[in-house]
Amino acid sequence: MKLRFVLRQTLNNLWRERTPVTASVLTIGIALVILISLFEVSISLYRNLNDLKQNMVIEVYLEASRTENDAAGISAQLSDYGTIERIRVISKEAAAEIFEKEFGENIYDILKENPLPVMIEVRLQSEYNHPDYLALFKKQVEALPGVDEVHYRHVLVEELESLTQAVLISGLAVLIVLVFAMNLLIRNTIKLSVYARRDQIAIMKILGAGNLFIRLPYILEGAFEGLFGGMMAAAGLILAHKFIADSFEAIRFSLSVYKMLWIVTISVGILIGFFVSAAAVGHFVQKIYAKK
Amino acid sequence: MQGSTRDRKPNTCDYAMIRFSQVTVNYGYVPGALKDINLQLHKGDFTLLLGPTGSGKSTLLRLIYMDILPSAGLVTVDRWNSARISPRQINLLRRNIGVVFQDFRLIENMTVFDNVALPLVIEGYRRKYIRQVTQALLDEVNMLAAADQPASTLSLGEKQRVAIARAMAKDPLIVIADEPTGNLDREASQNVLNLLERFNRHGTSILMATHDYELIKETPYRRIYMENGEIRQPDSSINVGKERIIMMNRDV
Repeated sequence: MKLRFVLRQTLNNLWRERTPVTASVLTIGIALVILISLFEVSISLYRNLNDLKQNMVIEVYLEASRTENDAAGISAQLSDYGTIERIRVISKEAAAEIFEKEFGENIYDILKENPLPVMIEVRLQSEYNHPDYLALFKKQVEALPGVDEVHYRHVLVEELESLTQAVLISGLAVLIVLVFAMNLLIRNTIKLSVYARRDQIAIMKILGAGNLFIRLPYILEGAFEGLFGGMMAAAGLILAHKFIADSFEAIRFSLSVYKMLWIVTISVGILIGFFVSAAAVGHFVQKIYAKK
Repeated sequence: MQGSTRDRKPNTCDYAMIRFSQVTVNYGYVPGALKDINLQLHKGDFTLLLGPTGSGKSTLLRLIYMDILPSAGLVTVDRWNSARISPRQINLLRRNIGVVFQDFRLIENMTVFDNVALPLVIEGYRRKYIRQVTQALLDEVNMLAAADQPASTLSLGEKQRVAIARAMAKDPLIVIADEPTGNLDREASQNVLNLLERFNRHGTSILMATHDYELIKETPYRRIYMENGEIRQPDSSINVGKERIIMMNRDV
């Protein structure tokens, strides 16, 4: 009976303050979409960055006159550094095949000869895959006799790293503003509900109602706002995924991930609504007592 | 009313259910809202608290349900006393006291039934019991037909009857009525007094503050006179005259 009463009060409050409630729900929804997207994008960027780092290939090009035997000698020297994960010599013929695979044309048809040099492909152990060591490694290897040039995609790695950071920082900044707005809007609806019912609260106090009984309808009001906001955000995110997934194979989710997304988004929404309103209702109810 | 188990035999106990010992109340910078009050109320009594507006009647009543606490002295209500009472215990105390106000203090957007049932809901009783007790009480105050109406649609006299039913819902130790007829016409006032008398005959103690002399002049109940925050001892020979003086103060 007590719970029925509390729930009825909650639903009455939600209906009575429907305009500010809608504003809160929308803000919670938008904040959650940004929060969860930010989380997903960061995870995906970090994963790609990590993959890229793990699989980063350093290409050591030998001078045109050098043969595979020279390459084997240089490979042995590089292996002695103790920082190499894997090393592979790519002959002139193998390089021509790769060229054909990547560009679709036979190099002999174009140039009548194969100008591609012998190359050594090196993968460093993961702990050495950082810009400082890569620069040092490049310098050392380029000084070896017979080595023409050393290439690695450091620019891409650095760009991706700074992009990830920029996304995170700007996302967090937007999120902080939204969390602030969300807090303000939820507090405002709770304030309106409490003030609209201040006489009722005073009457219930005289009848001996405890704090929880008086406050619970307002706390649940916040939790419901969070629930609606969470549902809105989850629906938006899932629709966005389905829509974008048609274009990008990489972000197509399995059913269980969708289920998780629902649960996490809605739970976060409910928790936010619950705690913000719980903090607010105590404050405003106390204010009413103080004014009495 | 709600079955024989809720009935009590009146005036069978000499123990003071409510006791004021040298109670003084100062409101902020205004000292002496109540001055050195000593008072005992017994179980089953019907007591009238008389005095002009501003004499301290409402302050005295608020002390009983501990809406305020004394600045000095001690108020004891049944097993609770003002010197050692926690907020949680104040809630418990209030669940054993029915309060009726001049302005009714009903929750206007709730139905009559829900208003009367509210003290029982707060206590956490089961639905079936709440329905039984509430219907019996509404029947007792002749408001059963309006059970499903919002309280806002009632006349003033009806609102006060509903408020009395709500005050009685928990079978309280005492019903405190603070100017319950202040907003009512003669007939509705008489109805309210009759109702309170009927509940008192069932054993509920009543403490009613009023300055409606015409309404209570024929009643046999104990009278407590208040003026300027103090209790004045009535002299039996000038009893009626004293009441008239108080009424005149109020009229001025």
